Amino acid sequence: MSLSMALTKGRLEKKTVEMLDACGYGTEALKDKGRALVFKDSKKDLEYFLVKANDCITYVEHGVADVGVVGKDTLLEGGKYYYELLDLEIGKCRFIVASLPENDLFNKVGHIKIGTKYPNVARNYFLSKGMDVEIIKIDGSVELSPLLGLCDGIVDIMETGATLKENGLIVLDTVCPISARLIVNKASFKLKRKEVMDLIHDLEQEVLRNAAALE
Amino acid sequence: MNQIQLPAGFRDSILDECRKKNELKQTLNAVFESYGYEEIQTPVLEFYQTYSKAFSNLNDQDMYKFFDQEQDILTLRIDMTVPIARAVTTRFKDEMGPFRLRYCANVYKVRPSLSGKRSEVMDCGVELIGLDHHADLEVLACALEALNALNLPNFMLEIGTVQFFECACQIADLNETGRQTLADLIDRKSLVELKEYLDTLPMTNQIRTFFLNLPLLGGEKDVLEKALSLSFAPELESVVLQMKQLDAQLTELGYGGLYQFDFGKIPHLDYYTGIIFEGFVEGVGNSVLSGGRYDKLLQVFGNDLPACGFSFKLDTLAETISIPTKKANIQVLYPQAQIVEALKIAQKLRQKGNVELRLANVETIYIKEEE
Repeated sequence: MSLSMALTKGRLEKKTVEMLDACGYGTEALKDKGRALVFKDSKKDLEYFLVKANDCITYVEHGVADVGVVGKDTLLEGGKYYYELLDLEIGKCRFIVASLPENDLFNKVGHIKIGTKYPNVARNYFLSKGMDVEIIKIDGSVELSPLLGLCDGIVDIMETGATLKENGLIVLDTVCPISARLIVNKASFKLKRKEVMDLIHDLEQEVLRNAAALE
Repeated sequence: MNQIQLPAGFRDSILDECRKKNELKQTLNAVFESYGYEEIQTPVLEFYQTYSKAFSNLNDQDMYKFFDQEQDILTLRIDMTVPIARAVTTRFKDEMGPFRLRYCANVYKVRPSLSGKRSEVMDCGVELIGLDHHADLEVLACALEALNALNLPNFMLEIGTVQFFECACQIADLNETGRQTLADLIDRKSLVELKEYLDTLPMTNQIRTFFLNLPLLGGEKDVLEKALSLSFAPELESVVLQMKQLDAQLTELGYGGLYQFDFGKIPHLDYYTGIIFEGFVEGVGNSVLSGGRYDKLLQVFGNDLPACGFSFKLDTLAETISIPTKKANIQVLYPQAQIVEALKIAQKLRQKGNVELRLANVETIYIKEEE
């Protein structure tokens, strides 16, 4: 049976395609996109489409895509009705808590406000610390919010830390590491077990090869 | 206010969608009836207490809640199993059964807005109350027969058991937090986090390997052997042997190829005590059937009876099937002056088919029949 795969557009897309290429999949169509939205693999019985990270979960949950590649950051914030079967170990970064050096966030007495694009991640993190904080949803340039005095601190994704540094923010704690995951629709996993397991096996080998190459 | 919208997660069901659901309902009811199940209807409202008594891991936010005259909390029923368990303990007090009950009713769960999921769905199923796990085979056969009767192109009944996991947790001496975390990770087949979490728990390598393998311990017959080889205690082996017996019996009954096993199946509801199973159909992202054994639920309401049951999700099923559109096949066109005559004619014609009356600009009554 044919599989359909939802890929997260952008940075993850390139890295995922590289991995698929290395596994011997035919991803030519994905490199020369034109106006098409759905792309057929030239070697395997597989179909790709490109979506935004949040939509990747939605498509997989509804079974419109059998499998999807999406960042753990998005998974932590979104739904739960899917299987998460493989860490592709690409798109690595981490969730951090940061603030201005003078804001002693974890020892502050009184009301604490946290700005973030990821309210669920922030809420769960502070709950696990036994802290009751107010979360303020910010959609872009989260680093700005403590500078302007909207929040005491932020929970955000950090890759290199350059942006934080430029804005004079310091990292107080790591919430969790992030990388791209392969998620699978529950029903697809039952009805297309062999196809899904083959794909996982191929990608798993590539993950191991990449890890070996790094050492 | 000109209010034309429905609350999130609700929809009207019209025309073909209604007919599909009705047709499915009839097909399923016929199968259930042939197995000796009798219909039960319960109110759409239950006390919130009824549910909080039944589930220790009840998700409050999933329930629609109201207050009644006494300021007690009411809820729209989230399933039919709990209302039936409650009804059986009160209506058939001190009777031992067995009770074979079937139902077809709307159940309600609050779904996240804008997720495209339904808050109101129709469940059509059965509960076999008063018989222990020896009746599992009968219930599974009924589920398979019902799936067969629906003429679906490709379906799969997946059978698991909560005992495999629960037993292992007990022997491994896990605390409640450990058990719940593992249950969640294994159920979501979240292999990455599962491995990380297991590494933090003090346990032997054999037990760690067992839990690590659970999520992918599914598939055809060969999985039973694998489950046996992973079993690290006689209790676990006996669970697998029970499943092997079920497998042999189902095959003997001619259901081979229509079912699979999944030992990594962990139910979201904590009332299941034995087998659990789900049905999947090609082209549908969610299960269309789910059920299992719940031997401790009725005890909560004061009548200690074992039970097993399952239900189909009719709305999900309706999306997968197609049936020919059915319209009135006879039209009677009439001028206003001859309305009584037209009704008389229509009445006779109704013995032949469905008749639609139409006021038209015609001299005399005119009958149009379609093939």
